[in-house]
Amino acid sequence: MDDIESRLRGLMLAGLAGEAGPYRRLLDELSGLLRAYYARRAPPGVDAEDLVQETLIAVHTRRVTYDAGQPFTAWAYAIARYKLIDALRRGRAHLRAPAEEADALFVPAGAEAAMAARDLERVMASLPARTRELIRDVKVVGLSTREAAQKHGMSETAVKVAVHRGLKSLGGKYGGSAAHED
Amino acid sequence: MKTDQLIQNLTDELAPVAPGAAARRIAAGLGVGALVSTALMLAWLGLRPDLEQAMSTPMFWMKFGYAAATGLILAALLTRLAKPAVRPGLLAAVAAAPLAVVAAMALFRFANAPPQMHRALLMGHSWSACPWRILAIGLPLLAGAVWAVRGLAPTRLLLAGLVAGGCAGGLGAAIYAFACEETSAPFLAIWYTLGMALVAGLGALAGSRLLRWR
Repeated sequence: MDDIESRLRGLMLAGLAGEAGPYRRLLDELSGLLRAYYARRAPPGVDAEDLVQETLIAVHTRRVTYDAGQPFTAWAYAIARYKLIDALRRGRAHLRAPAEEADALFVPAGAEAAMAARDLERVMASLPARTRELIRDVKVVGLSTREAAQKHGMSETAVKVAVHRGLKSLGGKYGGSAAHED
Repeated sequence: MKTDQLIQNLTDELAPVAPGAAARRIAAGLGVGALVSTALMLAWLGLRPDLEQAMSTPMFWMKFGYAAATGLILAALLTRLAKPAVRPGLLAAVAAAPLAVVAAMALFRFANAPPQMHRALLMGHSWSACPWRILAIGLPLLAGAVWAVRGLAPTRLLLAGLVAGGCAGGLGAAIYAFACEETSAPFLAIWYTLGMALVAGLGALAGSRLLRWR
């Protein structure tokens, strides 16, 4: 850290004096450090590289705020953190609840379940008939694997495989990760 | 744009920076604000008629000195807060020193006055107008301070806003001292301080929004 501090501070002071070479080296080195810093911290939906660039621009346009007597690393870190907080704040501002009517809350009893059942039917329609029935029996009705095997005249293993494949296929189609829970 | 290209562009437009540029920007913002505030004071209230006489009394200079010293110390503190990772340091404590002196003098004056004078010492004749006038006269200064600090890089926005407001309030009160005819230390300690605190509170409220920079 001391090593980085004295090297970067030297580059920054040269940059403030107008020397392009050291200044370029400073921005190059900073961009690598910032990339690593934002890679794990950028909020969802924000490109870490955008934050890297915004921070480099802020370092450049606000370089008058660097005091020669001050640690450069602390100064640059404070700007990087400010930019991260700014990105988090903007992300929060974009979280909007949809404008709906009151009946979004006051749903007649059972209606929500009926809609879920209808959605389930539509989703399951894409499966072969045998697989569909097996999934319904095991996952919705709640039969055990053995009961389902007896009902359909299959081995238990075959039931397990068919249910697994069916769920996997649904997971692939509808993009959720819940079907991959095994 | 690729980051490499961005770095090239930033390097191409590199110009030397003179030391003290940040402080000069704050001085410029406050200077323009002070001119507008003075014009507002002159047009709205006018100088106190006995200004020349008053300027030979210690009380005038105590009023002006309290407000101006507070404003100037907070201006120096604001210059620190406009920079990333610079701590307020001792200046934050120094900023309270003028208030401590004035409060001590006010207590002394009050304790040594006959009881029938207490009300006059505390309320003067303009207590209900004084804080609001200081708030109004402080607004152009606050605008100047906000403009200056926005162009720098404050990272503690609420604190920077509070200090910007306190600074504007102090300098605004110093300008108001040329219009105000009150002569008691207790009045000064209460109503001038309240007026400055109003501007400081407004600065803190506005700070976290208005001082946000991209």
